Amino acid sequence: MWLVRPAQPGDLNAILELAGGIGPRLSSTLPRKDEALAEKIGQSVRAFEGTTDPAETLRFLFVLEDIETGLVRGVAGIDSRAGHGQPFYNYRKDALIHASHELGVSRRVDVLYPSHALTGHTLLCAFTIDPQLRGTDAFELLSRARMMFIASHRHLFTDRIVVEIQGVQTESGEVPFWDSLGRHFFNMDFETADQHSGALSKTFIAELMPPNPVYVTLLTPEAQAALGQAHEKTRPTYELLQREGFCAGAYLDIFDAGPVLEARTDSLKTIGSSLSGTLHGTPEEDGELCLISGGSKAQFRCTLTSMSETLTGNIKVPVKTWHCLGLDAGDAVRVSPL
Amino acid sequence: MLVIRPLQENDLEALYAMAQSAGKGLTTLPADRDLLRRKIRHARDTFDQRCAPEAGLYLFALEDTDLEQCVGISGIQARVGLDEVFYNYRLSVTVNASRELGVHVRTPTLALSNDMTDTSEICSLLLSDSHRGGGNGLLLSRCRFMFLDHFRKNFSEKVFAEMRGVSDKNGRSPLWDALGRQFFDMDFTQADTLSGLGNKSFIAELMPKFPIYLPMLPDDARAVIGRVHDNTAPALKMLQSEGFNFNGMVDIFDGGPVVEAFIHNIRTVRDSTDRIVMIRSRSSAPRQAGEDEVMVCNGSFHNFRVTTVPADCVTMDTISLSETVARALEVEAGDRVRLAPLKDKGLNPTKNHRDTNRAGWSSRA
Repeated sequence: MWLVRPAQPGDLNAILELAGGIGPRLSSTLPRKDEALAEKIGQSVRAFEGTTDPAETLRFLFVLEDIETGLVRGVAGIDSRAGHGQPFYNYRKDALIHASHELGVSRRVDVLYPSHALTGHTLLCAFTIDPQLRGTDAFELLSRARMMFIASHRHLFTDRIVVEIQGVQTESGEVPFWDSLGRHFFNMDFETADQHSGALSKTFIAELMPPNPVYVTLLTPEAQAALGQAHEKTRPTYELLQREGFCAGAYLDIFDAGPVLEARTDSLKTIGSSLSGTLHGTPEEDGELCLISGGSKAQFRCTLTSMSETLTGNIKVPVKTWHCLGLDAGDAVRVSPL
Repeated sequence: MLVIRPLQENDLEALYAMAQSAGKGLTTLPADRDLLRRKIRHARDTFDQRCAPEAGLYLFALEDTDLEQCVGISGIQARVGLDEVFYNYRLSVTVNASRELGVHVRTPTLALSNDMTDTSEICSLLLSDSHRGGGNGLLLSRCRFMFLDHFRKNFSEKVFAEMRGVSDKNGRSPLWDALGRQFFDMDFTQADTLSGLGNKSFIAELMPKFPIYLPMLPDDARAVIGRVHDNTAPALKMLQSEGFNFNGMVDIFDGGPVVEAFIHNIRTVRDSTDRIVMIRSRSSAPRQAGEDEVMVCNGSFHNFRVTTVPADCVTMDTISLSETVARALEVEAGDRVRLAPLKDKGLNPTKNHRDTNRAGWSSRA
């Protein structure tokens, strides 16, 4: 049975292993150093306990645990405010029409504007899962458990929600967009910059990023082709998020030009379609497979269960689900179809 | 004899023929009769003071008095960018540095600029093939500095020249292909022609307004920024010897450099000096090849004249001119004329008398 629960300091090594195990080609915003990760887990613990400094961003980190083996197989996070009080960088792809009435010409010119417009929106981040679990129910559980959490703690999050998808990278590790643009200014390879961006303050981006808008037509053809394109391996994530109601908008990642998906929080499928009810038992184990979550903040748990619902708002699930959630009959839970 | 004089209406055909043989690359003088006619009319209005000083276009003809024909032209535009917008790219540097990461990156950048607005430009130099060599090009170019010197109040303190940038024999410009063309779907030659017909600012309005980071351009395009076309290298050298320097601006189409100088610092201006005309009755001896020559000009605005005479005509206070030369310059005995050396490295006869001048009658600073 799979369980999503808040990350604990004891998960440090398992998470480190996961972050390292996905290989260098698939990056994530998870730090790969002990101290940095421990700090991140610490932030999450404080966020779940409600002891975060009010001025700070709540940074929740969830883990996917196989309760039979106790192994942590995935991580996912939510930052209540993208940028954590610092600017959150993106490129906004926009267009200008260069037209001359006298010469009878008109041409559309695509431009990438540096933007901080998404700063402060709730951000889904740090999604990392054991590659073997990609595309499975556990994968969906880990990703959508965050939406279940948001649904039951809606006041902690903003009305708009964004998520960055990793952009195009070749087999040999080259990032065409980075090589055409960022490399010239940062004077480092993509991986180094990406790691810095996960670990260091974002000041270095402000310092090194070209301050002016960039003409798309001056990028290499490979870089132009990569604009707004998701990394092949992120396809399951991308599709899942699209089903959830996220759409690619005008924003791109500043390093690899991967798409930034956006949605109105309240119109996300999990949040809109989830139902609250009270927990009841049933001996049957062959109902519809659902996500079920319960518990507030640090007690938050989310898992998959078969469910038969009654009209009175009683949610009948097998008792082992109760144990998994750490709840008892009569407790409030939330369910959403898988 | 070759004499510089203001361009006239009847020079049109000669000018058209020269413009035609000059072919591509001479943006300011396309082979278009109507346009040339308009330019001549503009120049006439300027010399006759029928237009405001800042709207002036001074076009000088090099006349071969034996052929009674215009064999060359050069010009000064009193001010650029007043009735249309004058664009250049400024070649600048953006530094991005992070102390935290120990990174310090310098990025050359092209930024669109109108900085040359309201500055005087020397332009439109064209010399007929039959008259190349023998310092004729120098006379055609440098006569303008004598005019600028005489009538400084009609011009800005600084004067600049746009030098033709690199393009291959098919008229392909690497910078245009990498930059302009991306925004304006047109060949360089076509754009260049349009620009000569007075549409340059329209085209410029279609060009990128945000700074262009050079590392994003292909190598061959970057290599030509600030470089001149091989055919223009001698002209650049000549201007450099006059004290003109690259001012960091380049042409928005082909990346050719803009060179500029303060008028008072131009060598011809600094080395020029005044003399009183004496007319000698015998006709001048035939010139010998390699003999040093000096440019002599009258001080007339309406009928500015320049020609060259052998340096040995110059004495400490006077210059002796033959009647023919005096007539060509429209001066008489006792008139004051200004002279300047024609060639860079030629013996400068006026220089030796500089101190004497100061102590003597010359009132020039």
